[in-house]
Amino acid sequence: MIGMLIVGYAQGIAGARAEMGADEIARKAYNTAYYEGDDGRATVEMTLTDRQERTRKRKFQILRYDIKDGGRQKYYVYFREPADVREMVYMVWKHVGSDDDRWLYLPALDLVRRIAASDKRSSFVGSDFTYEDISGRSVDLDSHELVSSEGGKYLLKNTPKDPDLVEFSYYLVSIDKETMMPVKAEYFDAQGEKYREINALEVKEIQGHPTIIRQRADDLAAGSHTIVEFSDIEYDVGISEDIFTERYLRRAPRRWLDY
Amino acid sequence: MARLLKGVFACAAGLCLAGRSVPAEAAFRLGKDGPRIGGFVEAGYGGKLGDDTTKHEDLSMLEQRLQLETTWYPEFAEVWKDWMAAVNFRGDFLLDEYYGGRAEFELRELNLILSPLSWMDLRMGRQVFTWGTGDYLFLNDLFPKDYISFYIGRDDEYLKKPSDGVRVSFYTDPVNLDLALIPVCEPNDFFTGQRLSFYDVFQQRIAARSVNRTVVEPARQPEHSEVAMRAYRNFGRYEFAWYAFRGHYKMPRGILNQMQRRLYFPRLDAYGMSVRGPFYEGIANAEFAYYHSREDSAGDNRLIPNSMCKYLVGYDQDLGNDLRIGVQYLLEQRLEYDSYRRALLPGDVARDEFRHLLTLRINQQYWNQTVDAGLFLFFSPSDRDAYLRPKVDYDVTDQLSFTFGANLIWGEDDSTEFGQLERNKNVYLRVRYAF
Repeated sequence: MIGMLIVGYAQGIAGARAEMGADEIARKAYNTAYYEGDDGRATVEMTLTDRQERTRKRKFQILRYDIKDGGRQKYYVYFREPADVREMVYMVWKHVGSDDDRWLYLPALDLVRRIAASDKRSSFVGSDFTYEDISGRSVDLDSHELVSSEGGKYLLKNTPKDPDLVEFSYYLVSIDKETMMPVKAEYFDAQGEKYREINALEVKEIQGHPTIIRQRADDLAAGSHTIVEFSDIEYDVGISEDIFTERYLRRAPRRWLDY
Repeated sequence: MARLLKGVFACAAGLCLAGRSVPAEAAFRLGKDGPRIGGFVEAGYGGKLGDDTTKHEDLSMLEQRLQLETTWYPEFAEVWKDWMAAVNFRGDFLLDEYYGGRAEFELRELNLILSPLSWMDLRMGRQVFTWGTGDYLFLNDLFPKDYISFYIGRDDEYLKKPSDGVRVSFYTDPVNLDLALIPVCEPNDFFTGQRLSFYDVFQQRIAARSVNRTVVEPARQPEHSEVAMRAYRNFGRYEFAWYAFRGHYKMPRGILNQMQRRLYFPRLDAYGMSVRGPFYEGIANAEFAYYHSREDSAGDNRLIPNSMCKYLVGYDQDLGNDLRIGVQYLLEQRLEYDSYRRALLPGDVARDEFRHLLTLRINQQYWNQTVDAGLFLFFSPSDRDAYLRPKVDYDVTDQLSFTFGANLIWGEDDSTEFGQLERNKNVYLRVRYAF
């Protein structure tokens, strides 16, 4: 058993040395960005700045539960600010190979609205991030090509398998070789013009997991940008799966949300 | 004009006040560790597009409102913590210039939530009950509604009226169950002719100030209490629900005494089911309800509505680029229709056996979702009436927002659901500062 582990480890290193395949890099980076630990929570502050330098703030807490690493997952996003969305909840059941199930709970109307999965590429709460940036874009949706592996980073070119479903023609992702964390993403339109960019501004190790704690998205066409700051990050908190249900949309699980 | 100026002045004064006294950081706390208090101040002005015979001929809304809302977690004993006790409060102070500056306090929520068992929640006190799958169409949601607020352009929140009651929820693997127990039946806010004109069955025409009728509310007795139930569970990605209701019609649909012009709320039982889930590139829903008119099962009493079946299908899709559309089709079938027709007397309004209603929703957001331009259309080909609700919301900042909209109603007959409200066409503006 020990021998197997050592062999496996050695192969892993050798594989990395000999450069992993593009698909494997993409999968590892995806797991690093979205599946660290068995569950996790964080407080998120988004600052939205438009072309005219007017700013807006969004503050929410995210709870995440992994059913399977790299596979099914559940998200619970509880809004704190601004006032008009306070106590609103956005919930996702992420699937593999089929569309996600998503709900929005509107507290003033005590209404649980089901939302279609087809608008994954639209803006999340008016920011420069998309819904898909929040819960991750499945690696199976794109084909991956290793463009370079210089300067301690892998550069992947990702081309959508079904270009009709997305607004980009391809995007480039830089992945830190040491942590396997994607640290930069650049989106290109049909004319090959870059129109959108996401950068990790600060990465920290938390409970042994590399974690982005500051991130910036730029909409180059609109001239707006959004900065996200993560705090109170914790992995393996023991979140139970049953909070990702209608019961807890109507009654926020205080135990897991800091008050 | 003087009134309009006064309204605008009040709006402005209210906003200045809000801007000064409320910290811009959103919400404030009572004491250092006290409960957070949130809410908003809002000024609303609405004018009718034509002259009406209501209390004010050209006005539909002129008011200032302060809503305060908080949640408090009582933790003075271990059991309160174990039961995850929470007390919710939401209340509105309303200064209603429509009624000469009448000050009102409306308690919308004051309830205690407990989880005495891991699979059970209790919510006791004043609360807003709601369920079902329709968009502005309620089949199995027989909880009280305030259609006056709806037709004059108040926020959607005010369409749903609170009730005093207990909600018991059971969460088990095979099925989840919600039980709503409402000791005192709370009817809809029905038309009185003060603010909105409508079809008066006694005068057999659209009337407002001249309405002279008595609405007898159910007596506060145990036999007038209401019970509503919903059982729900998922099968795969589809949400199924079953409903039952025992109570009263929410509108004064029964005539107690025609000579004395006395109306009342006849007894009603309802049963139904619904399903909602992904379909094509959006979300589809279907709902069915059977209304059993307990005081007129045979359908031969012309003073009490007949039993009905209601069928609803809907589809909602996000088309990307912040555009959302939704369509619905509702079919209402009056049962025992032959008996109903036979029982009518000359002068009575003869309703169709089938009523068809279509709705369309379009919402488009602009400027990083700070502007929402939307419209909602009700259109009934059988009643030949329609109701269009265009609306633009603009969030100037995270706190300050403007809402500009209209309620446009047409109908060929005076007695249909929307047709009767034709003279109430209005436009409105609301300014809100949230904290």
